[in-house]
Amino acid sequence: MKQSKSRPLTREQVDQFGAELDALHTRVRDDLGQHDADYIRRVFAAVRYTEAAGRVLLYCWFLPPLWVLGVLLLGLSKILDNMELGHNVIHGQFDWMNDPYLRGRDWEWDIVATGDNWRETHNFRHHTYTNIKGMDDDIGYGLLRLFPEQRWRPFYLFQPLVAVIFALLFEWGVAIQDLRLGRYFKGKMAPGEMAAAFRPVGRKMRRQMIKDYLVFPLLGGPLFLPILAGNALANIMRSLWTYMIIFCGHFTADVDVFPKSVMNGESRGQWYLRQIRGSSNLRGGKLFHILTGNLSHQIEHHLFPTLPANRYGDIAPEVRAICRRYGVHYNTGSLWLQFGQVIWRILRYSFPSKPVPVNRVRLLAE
Amino acid sequence: MSDGVLHKAMAPLVAPPVFDFWVQKINRTLSWERPLARVVGREVTARGTVTLTLKANRHFRGYAAGQHVPVSVEVDGVRLTRTYSPVTPWQGDRRLAITVREVDGGKVSAALVHALSVGDVVELGPAFGDMVLPDGGASRPWLLVAGGSGITPLMCLARALLAENPSADITLMMWARERADLCFSGTFADLRARHPNLRVLPVLTRESRCLPNELSGRPGAELFAAQVPDIATRAVRACGPWGFVETVSSLLAPIAADFDSECFTPPPRATQAGEAVTVTLLRSERQVQVPAGAPLLESLEEQGVQPAYGCRMGVCNTCVCDKRAGTTEHVYNSEQHAEAGPVRLCVNAARSDITLDL
Ligand SMILES: Cc1cc2nc3c(=O)[nH]c(=O)nc-3n(C[C@H](O)[C@H](O)[C@H](O)COP(=O)(O)OP(=O)(O)OC[C@H]3O[C@@H](n4cnc5c(N)ncnc54)[C@H](O)[C@@H]3O)c2cc1C
Repeated sequence: MKQSKSRPLTREQVDQFGAELDALHTRVRDDLGQHDADYIRRVFAAVRYTEAAGRVLLYCWFLPPLWVLGVLLLGLSKILDNMELGHNVIHGQFDWMNDPYLRGRDWEWDIVATGDNWRETHNFRHHTYTNIKGMDDDIGYGLLRLFPEQRWRPFYLFQPLVAVIFALLFEWGVAIQDLRLGRYFKGKMAPGEMAAAFRPVGRKMRRQMIKDYLVFPLLGGPLFLPILAGNALANIMRSLWTYMIIFCGHFTADVDVFPKSVMNGESRGQWYLRQIRGSSNLRGGKLFHILTGNLSHQIEHHLFPTLPANRYGDIAPEVRAICRRYGVHYNTGSLWLQFGQVIWRILRYSFPSKPVPVNRVRLLAE
Repeated sequence: MSDGVLHKAMAPLVAPPVFDFWVQKINRTLSWERPLARVVGREVTARGTVTLTLKANRHFRGYAAGQHVPVSVEVDGVRLTRTYSPVTPWQGDRRLAITVREVDGGKVSAALVHALSVGDVVELGPAFGDMVLPDGGASRPWLLVAGGSGITPLMCLARALLAENPSADITLMMWARERADLCFSGTFADLRARHPNLRVLPVLTRESRCLPNELSGRPGAELFAAQVPDIATRAVRACGPWGFVETVSSLLAPIAADFDSECFTPPPRATQAGEAVTVTLLRSERQVQVPAGAPLLESLEEQGVQPAYGCRMGVCNTCVCDKRAGTTEHVYNSEQHAEAGPVRLCVNAARSDITLDL
């Protein structure tokens, strides 16, 4: 097993490193204004227009190219709603605008997962305990083995198949992530408790199902089936895309996972360091970044999850320069390179591997 | 959209931001539930002062004369809210007029005075304020005392009184620095022609030469005694900056038949780190004392309040909470923030008394 690509730093270096990032954060925070407000409203408008156009075109079943375009537009709308709009607003990135319609705490999105569950599993657990084994459920989502640090079980032999099914149904996986079904099946959770936890999730699922698979298809009368199929395809398209982007953020070849012990007395600088070492970026053009919800700037996002995502691209060169000065590996690559590495991990770790020592990952030099 | 049966029945199916997005393509003041108003008139009423006439949508519930209305505008991407006092009584036409004086370095007043034009849309809030007319008030004599832009709610009271009783006995003393700062000169000339018992006395503090109908000087016992000898019979209402209202109150409250006031600027209050400040929790209907400068989440927990929280380091936004008033300070970079809006309790400290929606 190869060593981490980042060199350990002394405590003073880590503190300086953190201070530089803090200063960058403050500078961007002070510069937010009309430009950023206009940006997120344009994204909101783009979601609305693509959805409307997509849904209308789905009724053009008799002109197949238009129907296909409808599926693509609806899928695009759901991707934008999910990533550049929903994910970012839910982080509270636009709370500074004080617009009641763009508040992180209250935001709900067009996906079967509830905003509340996402706030818990993603905003809190994943972003606070990023890549800490046993704390960050996003490591394999309790379903996949992606790191040698995870214990191998025979079930993982089916992992390549499981990973594909998981990708197709990703929005459903996200929806039930916070229920921690694993604990339930192990008998660590009472049925009543599970039922109570499931109620809001079930309500959201029902709402989404009725909307996409009943109301809109019924509006099409005899076109019920093509419209239902169009909605299903658009949802699958969104699931595949979000799965691919999200997996590229933390499961590429050079990212580190950490033992729980890193949390003991972790300073701000160390926290920043862990975020960078646990994340990987994607290279691409402007449109690509928007379609990924700027999660292509996963490193910047993990450093500053509450800064508006449209700023990540601007600060990326500075973050990278800071990393270079401190010898911290800045993990970036094209989508195909990074996703190739993810696929390699899915295949490789479906098989047993040599156990690795827990303290392979060292943040501090002493 | 009225808040009727249909509105209630449809509520579970409607996402208000999406609804508003589409209906506002038709009319920018339509909304599922937000009280919006369009600027339909704009008039310069004095130096640096404009009167804006607004037409509100059906979600705005009106106000009583003498009350104040929160007005929100977006300035550089941030929605800011300030209070203004309508100058005309609320009637069936859903119109209200506010008179805004530009304050030096003021964000919202500058936006309302300079940036806003006819056709623009602002958001309103529910009216508040206790300086309203008692039943049958129009039959007794009044003294209205205004300092600067404090004329606004008093103007509304005067109009309401005269509408109820055209010969109501009203004396209005309005302070300003110079003649050019006086609001409503034309309106008053007009009103006086129709209402013989309305007396308007402008008092100027910085004008070198006064006209026959003008007075000069700061509020003082002699001035009031000379101009309003029958003060003991009058109900007094005063409004203006905090210092002005304090002075008028100390002079007139003991001798007037009845006294009430409102100030436009809250008393200044700076706090040192460690000094105790009061946190008012609106939902739990509680007030607790916490030390200024300490992270609010911890301080509130020490007082037995249990806000939702997650990371406790400003990352996850779980403890975010709506601040309605007061100044907070970010614990990492010491930046102070005096505007209402969402704050993360774990990384913000109080720097004044604050009000939270918690
Ligand atoms: C109940 C009530 C009713 C009001 N009605 C009216 C009205 O009818 N017409 C009107 O013009 N204003 C009225 N105001 C004042 C108004 O709400 C704003 O405070 C004012 O317009 C300044 O806002 P700003 O955003 O421009 O200034 P800010 O950006 O908030 O402040 C800029 C600077 O000006 C100072 N400042 C703030 N407010 C005042 C003030 N009123 N006088 C002097 N200095 C100030 C601040 O301390 C700060 O240093 C009322 C206030 C209250 C509390």
